[in-house]
Amino acid sequence: MTHHPSAATLLAYAAGRLPVAHGIVVRTHLALCAECRAEAALAAAIGGEMLAELPPAALAADSLAKVLGRLDEAAPPAPPARPVPTTVEQLATGRWWWIGPGMRLMPLMRRGADNVRLDLIKVAPGVRLPGHGHTGTELTCVLRGAFGDETGEYHAGDFAEGEPGLEHEPMALPVGQDCVCLIATEGRLRAHSWVARLVQPLVGV
Amino acid sequence: MTPDDAAEEAAGWLRAIAEHGDRVAFVALYGRFAPRVKAYLLRLALPPAQAEELTQEAMLAVWRKAAQFDARTSGAAAWIFTIARNLRVDAARRAALAVPEDMPPDELEPTMPADAQLDDARRADRLRQAMQTLPPEQAEVVRLAFFDDRPHAEIERRLGIPLGTVKSRLRLAMVRLRAQLDAFK
Repeated sequence: MTHHPSAATLLAYAAGRLPVAHGIVVRTHLALCAECRAEAALAAAIGGEMLAELPPAALAADSLAKVLGRLDEAAPPAPPARPVPTTVEQLATGRWWWIGPGMRLMPLMRRGADNVRLDLIKVAPGVRLPGHGHTGTELTCVLRGAFGDETGEYHAGDFAEGEPGLEHEPMALPVGQDCVCLIATEGRLRAHSWVARLVQPLVGV
Repeated sequence: MTPDDAAEEAAGWLRAIAEHGDRVAFVALYGRFAPRVKAYLLRLALPPAQAEELTQEAMLAVWRKAAQFDARTSGAAAWIFTIARNLRVDAARRAALAVPEDMPPDELEPTMPADAQLDDARRADRLRQAMQTLPPEQAEVVRLAFFDDRPHAEIERRLGIPLGTVKSRLRLAMVRLRAQLDAFK
């Protein structure tokens, strides 16, 4: 593993203010990377310090009374703790759609108010995605296989952070198996070629 | 009262709640932290009514989970912050649109892995000291990165420095904090 989330992304994750889909991709990488878990813990500890020094906000007049009135309520049963899903099998809860030769897409989360969608993408070794640009931030965690683009080579567990404005033509590396990635895309893709622009409305990316 | 004394006092309140359901301690804890939890949620751009509601839920969770607080692994503020943050993320996940069907919420329960905790309570004090010794320009990007909704654009605009500089300052700040904590082990 050689590619990790930036400090800015880890802090935003720890602050709880990443869009949901982006947060799920970060969480997936954290489950696979002890080093970044330690960084995220540091970021959460920074959060505690930030909290302590925030100027207090005005509470509702009955805020404390309401909570005191509920202290004797029985706590709802805690949901059973399940490990964070990190494998293709655990994450693949939808169905695969053919989007082009050697390329399949499984939508996991629709674009909501934050304008970020979550998908699995599966690309056969050696297949290059049509070149495209991004209007927002794209976070990717490689689950299996490998891909490369203008910014480097990404293998299983690696985390790719595409800035808004990134233009790239990612290719699944010929490593003997499909490249499967969990990918959270903010905004729209801008396809470079007319072929991709034709396909785009069909798959909704 | 120094920040370290305040942290120690808050840890004492949590212990009193855990050990004998001390309501007086809870009221004190509420007075200090509920307004700050709400301020944090408002910073995340939650509507005021929802921020108030989540604040109450978070403080109720603090009451219920107080026995899980371990002063050897985290500071009281970081522990309360994490509870509020997780409630916020849970609520956002429930509101998100999943296809083809909602992922079960328990599967998405955001928990900090146990090994991701600071391994010594004194390190929380140490972190506070380390943050106070950050060069002002690094401390400022950390604050903005934490609480501003559009961190990059916002930091660029507010500090009038390019994005690359913001990112390298953030990275330097994290490396510096980490080094100071590791030196303390």
